[in-house]
Amino acid sequence: MAETSNSHRKLRIHALRYNPAKADDTPRIQTYELEEAPGMTLFIALSEIREKQDPSLQFDFVCRAGICGSCGMMINGLPGLACRTVTKDLPADISLAPLPFFELIGDLSVNTGKWMRGMSEKLETWVHSMGQSTDLKRIEEAMDPALAEEVYELDRCIECGCCVASCGTARMRKDFVGAVGLNKMARFRLDPRDKRTDADFYELVGDDNGVFGCMSLLACHDVCPKNLPLQTQIAFLRRKMVLQGTKG
Amino acid sequence: MDSTPNVIAGVGLADRPRKSRWPARMDLAQSATGLVLGLFMWGHMFFVSSILLGKDAMWSITKMFEGYFFFGKAYPGAVSVIVGAIFAILIVHAFLAMRKFPANYTQYRTFIGHRKLMAHEDTTLWWVQAITGFLLFFIAAVHLYQMLMHPGDIGPYESADRVWSGRWWPLYLVALFAVELHGGIGLYRLCVKWGWLEGKDANASRKRLKTLKWVLTVFFIALGLATLAAYMKIGYDHRDRVGERYTPSWVVPNPMEKAK
Amino acid sequence: MKIVYTDVLVIGGGLAGLRLAIGAKRRGHDALILSLVPAKRSHSKAAQGGMQASLGNVAKGQGDTEDVHFEDTVRGSDWGADQEVVRMFVNTAPKAVRELAAWGVPWSRVRKGDREVIINGQKVTITERDEAHGLIAQRDFGGTKKWRTCYAADGTGHAMINTVADQAIADSIPVHERKEALSLIHDGSRCYGAVVRDLITGEVSAYVATATAICTGGAGRVYRTTTNAVICEGIGHAIALETGVSALGNMEAVQFHPTGIFPAGILVTEGCRGDGGLLKDVDGHRFMPDYEPEKKELASRDVVSRRMEEHIKKGKGHKSRFGEHIWLDITLLGEKHIHTNLREVWDICHYFLGVDPVKEMIPVRPAQHYTMGGVRTDPSGQSPTLKGLFSAGEAACWDMHGFNRLGGNSVAETVVAGMIVGETIADYCDKLANTPTVPLGLVREFVEREQAKLAAFTKGGGREDASLIKGEMQDLMTAKVGIFRTGKDLEEAVDKLQKLLVRSRSIGLRSPSLGANPELVTAYRVQRMLKIALSIAYGAAVRTESRGAHFREDFPRRNDAEWLKRTLATWKSESDTLPTLAYEPLDVTRMELPPGWRGYGAKDYIDHPDTPERQKAVEAIRAQYASDRFAMQKALMPYEHLLPEVLRGKNERIDERF
Ligand SMILES: Cc1cc2nc3c(=O)[nH]c(=O)nc-3n(C[C@H](O)[C@H](O)[C@H](O)COP(=O)(O)OP(=O)(O)OC[C@H]3O[C@@H](n4cnc5c(N)ncnc54)[C@H](O)[C@@H]3O)c2cc1C
Ligand code: HEM
Ligand code: HEM
Ligand code: SF4
Ligand code: F3S
Ligand code: FES
Repeated sequence: MAETSNSHRKLRIHALRYNPAKADDTPRIQTYELEEAPGMTLFIALSEIREKQDPSLQFDFVCRAGICGSCGMMINGLPGLACRTVTKDLPADISLAPLPFFELIGDLSVNTGKWMRGMSEKLETWVHSMGQSTDLKRIEEAMDPALAEEVYELDRCIECGCCVASCGTARMRKDFVGAVGLNKMARFRLDPRDKRTDADFYELVGDDNGVFGCMSLLACHDVCPKNLPLQTQIAFLRRKMVLQGTKG
Repeated sequence: MDSTPNVIAGVGLADRPRKSRWPARMDLAQSATGLVLGLFMWGHMFFVSSILLGKDAMWSITKMFEGYFFFGKAYPGAVSVIVGAIFAILIVHAFLAMRKFPANYTQYRTFIGHRKLMAHEDTTLWWVQAITGFLLFFIAAVHLYQMLMHPGDIGPYESADRVWSGRWWPLYLVALFAVELHGGIGLYRLCVKWGWLEGKDANASRKRLKTLKWVLTVFFIALGLATLAAYMKIGYDHRDRVGERYTPSWVVPNPMEKAK
Repeated sequence: MKIVYTDVLVIGGGLAGLRLAIGAKRRGHDALILSLVPAKRSHSKAAQGGMQASLGNVAKGQGDTEDVHFEDTVRGSDWGADQEVVRMFVNTAPKAVRELAAWGVPWSRVRKGDREVIINGQKVTITERDEAHGLIAQRDFGGTKKWRTCYAADGTGHAMINTVADQAIADSIPVHERKEALSLIHDGSRCYGAVVRDLITGEVSAYVATATAICTGGAGRVYRTTTNAVICEGIGHAIALETGVSALGNMEAVQFHPTGIFPAGILVTEGCRGDGGLLKDVDGHRFMPDYEPEKKELASRDVVSRRMEEHIKKGKGHKSRFGEHIWLDITLLGEKHIHTNLREVWDICHYFLGVDPVKEMIPVRPAQHYTMGGVRTDPSGQSPTLKGLFSAGEAACWDMHGFNRLGGNSVAETVVAGMIVGETIADYCDKLANTPTVPLGLVREFVEREQAKLAAFTKGGGREDASLIKGEMQDLMTAKVGIFRTGKDLEEAVDKLQKLLVRSRSIGLRSPSLGANPELVTAYRVQRMLKIALSIAYGAAVRTESRGAHFREDFPRRNDAEWLKRTLATWKSESDTLPTLAYEPLDVTRMELPPGWRGYGAKDYIDHPDTPERQKAVEAIRAQYASDRFAMQKALMPYEHLLPEVLRGKNERIDERF
């Protein structure tokens, strides 16, 4: 437990500072020193810096509990959720940078939400019931319990953007939908309530911005803070889409 | 309660032209050609390394490919046919795979920087694959052209002379590393890309595949180096008689000649 | 001046705001959502445990109906709730779950046959019916008679908001993210929209609408220890309060959750206890049965929280360098259960505590959790005092939670309220008479007023530090306006908060940019938060009784004779340092369930004079209609007329078909 740790290291946090709204600003690294506390997370550390040292430092936290996906940033070179990164797992020198790929708002804050909305619109990430209506007064349709669990499993994505930021393909090709998008397609394909067929899904991800653009770099799989089975799902989707694209 | 009834795959898509089937075909073809090439290269390595078992062994295998044991006569043209096929596959593969290269300097810089920052193994492996693929494009073309045009010049002395006296060994040395790295990574990637050999625990099997991949790569490079050394040695010893064709040891020399 | 026009302006992109916007949009009105963060990052995401709806699919939920849900909710509220609203709610909740199921929420489903569960620390085998196989499952939650809480593993809120936000995208409802409503534009009787600040550029603009809805969630961050997200600062509450016209109801009713991890305050779900987890003290003793022999760990939240604090006061807490805490023990649930049904809990323990809950106990202590109080509305969601203003979700007080809300009733409320208020807003917009003639001069005046206030922070020459004031407020609230309250503490708190409010009027900034500037945000928010804190503390100081989550050590009894009424706080003038309080009585003579004992907690309370008579009348009606529960309910307290037509009607169940 946190209380048994009695380290009082001096942490040096090297944060990337840049305000794209200011015409004359250039990116630079600013170093903040602070004393480590037991059980300290990067959320606690950054909040303290903002309160006591530099009120202008920009970053995003919402839930501070690892569930909302707001606080993705590059932590010592790897994308991760800052709020659930405990400083004691890191060296005393910690470098922080905003997630690449996404539009930079300022310092450590990026606009993942805007990109995710665009991705959702493009891939139509919702259940398409194809006009089937539901009588809300009647007992709901049954669903296999194991299948429901599987769908939930893929629904756990928090749209943090870590997978996209870690993906070399996405970095090179801006229109790539990323592992987050592909996982969502796999999720809706699995869901019996979504009446779309593989032909429909092919229209959405059957090209080099979709599943065929993925070069299986698997960084997405390795960094995903929710441990989603991205490798398996992308492979699965690829098989289905190749089948769809090569038949008939 | 759905707001988007009677639409195929949603709102905007109804009037959009249907998506091309080519991306699917190309992805499949890239992997299929890669698979053929990858497996071929293992076979190829066993073939050329037969020299380690002796000149006769190498000679026999060569002649086997030339149909000698079936027809009682060697048809080097048969080799040309195989080479031609591999050449074609290679060209298709290279053409497809090159789509994945960085398309311009910005993309190139971005990827380099990304790779360095992330230091993520599989990302780095892809970069290795891209570079080796690029190299192979030239090397393999030259090598294959040679094999295509002079299919008869394969044999313990013929090959060794080419390696040593023909000064091909530096090219082969580079090609060896390039092809083994490229092919090994490629086959590993095929597995994770298509979900082969995944089993119950994808993470565990990926780890196992990765280990297997490295073991095979090291094995084939070692085998290749030994083979290359063997050719160089034979070529060195044979440097004064370049052009002489090898006769297997069991062929009894013509007594008349001996008498002379 | 930039003006954005729309039909329905929804402030807040949580579950309530999203569902409301979808309702209005599907009725043909343009809806636009404002949110501080991307919609899916709203705090609705954090709900783990589940959503209550009386489906009665699981064996332990058999026999559940709206009636049982109604009683649980009213008792839970300690009779502070508006019973008509509760009726509307319990009847719509099953429809809401079923709608969400059709939209794609991966609800956990019933598996037929035997399964082993832990009840009361004992292994028990439950047999699920064949005909329930594949239907939505329910789990046990505090304060409920039946297993009623529908869930998607332990990411219920996550799964719900994913689905609802995606439906909003399907409906092309724009969400203007990273925008903050700073004030409502109004003329004292009617609301025209809001003044909005862009959190990226700092630009201040006006959003003008026929109807404006406040769906901004909770205000937990006025406290130091809270389970709420950092954006739950009650700004939505505050902008309604600052109109001077619209009132906040029951702000002193603040819920504390028993199991915030210690010391961070991050919540681990009630499902831990629902599934059989136990609370233990420093000696490893399970103490809840000593206090609450009947419901034990599963008594309602306020009771459990109080018992934990009481036990700590007796010296039975575990002492650590951050203070004292209690242990939550879920090791007995087994590895498999924890890894499948309580995985988020495992994650939280692992990542934020370094504890493996499969093997070790979890340090917990009560933390602020839920804001029962909110923007006062009528049962249709409209403000009775400011036309064109609506509210739904945690930010609202239409008043279904009274003085304590039950676990699982809140996400259910967000969606149900979204459905109901979405319809009433659409009805409202349908009427031509309600289309406002926009007084552009007024709009401009409001925008300029906000701009001037912002400029004052950078040019006003003030010297007070915004985050220091905020910290003091939070500490004060946690220390003096917490679980146990006394007149002395509360008066002290009110006094100090007033001083802080005065100080906050001369805040100066160290980084004087009007663009993206976190310090500026803290500055203008803390002024507003202090008004919320004062509404809570002052309301609590005046309310000399104990009811639900509001517990006064100096007045430990519930006092229906004097206090069966709702607090209404308004802020009359910008120069005031206290809200003006008024009270709205609850009418016992119309209650379906007259006040009585809650079934847990202290059994003594002071009756309202009308109660005995109403009780008799109710019993008579119950006897008369014993065979038909629908007719009985109708005779006791008709409510269906309050529901939008599309949402009326009986709910089918396995055991209740029609
Ligand atoms: C940790 C935790 C666990 C919970 N678990 C459960 C549970 O298991 N079951 C249950 O029933 N309930 C639970 N609750 C309660 C429930 O989650 C919330 O009450 C409910 O989700 C609130 O939803 P909402 O839509 O009203 O507000 P929120 O989801 O909080 O959304 C508020 C929205 O308003 C926006 N906003 C706020 N201020 C402004 C402004 N000034 N301008 C513009 N936008 C603004 C925000 O950006 C956000 O989009 C839990 C709460 C917490 C804290
Ligand atoms: C001639 C030049 C070659 C070039 C330019 C080239 C290039 C590439 C590239 C860039 C990739 C990665 C494709 C991707 O990420 O989707 C690739 C994949 C692959 N290559 Fe090559 N390669 C060449 C020759 C070879 C040879 C000789 C072999 C055999 C050993 C081979 C086997 C493979 C395999 C198995 C794959 C994996 C296929 C896939 O990912 O779909 N390649 N090649
Ligand atoms: C059908 C096609 C091919 C034939 C018939 C063939 C034949 C041969 C032969 C006979 C040698 C021995 C040396 C020599 O005679 O020059 C050789 C060596 C070699 N070939 Fe090929 N080759 C083929 C395709 C390829 C391809 C596609 C590659 C990949 C780039 C390749 C890479 C090599 C390498 C690296 C060596 C040196 C091996 C060593 O000595 O370690 N070959 N090949
Ligand atoms: S897939 Fe994983 S990494 Fe990618 S956005 Fe979702 S949670 Fe984040
Ligand atoms: S990192 Fe990128 S290339 Fe594919 S496997 Fe993941 S999306
Ligand atoms: S702040 Fe929500 S995931 Fe980190």
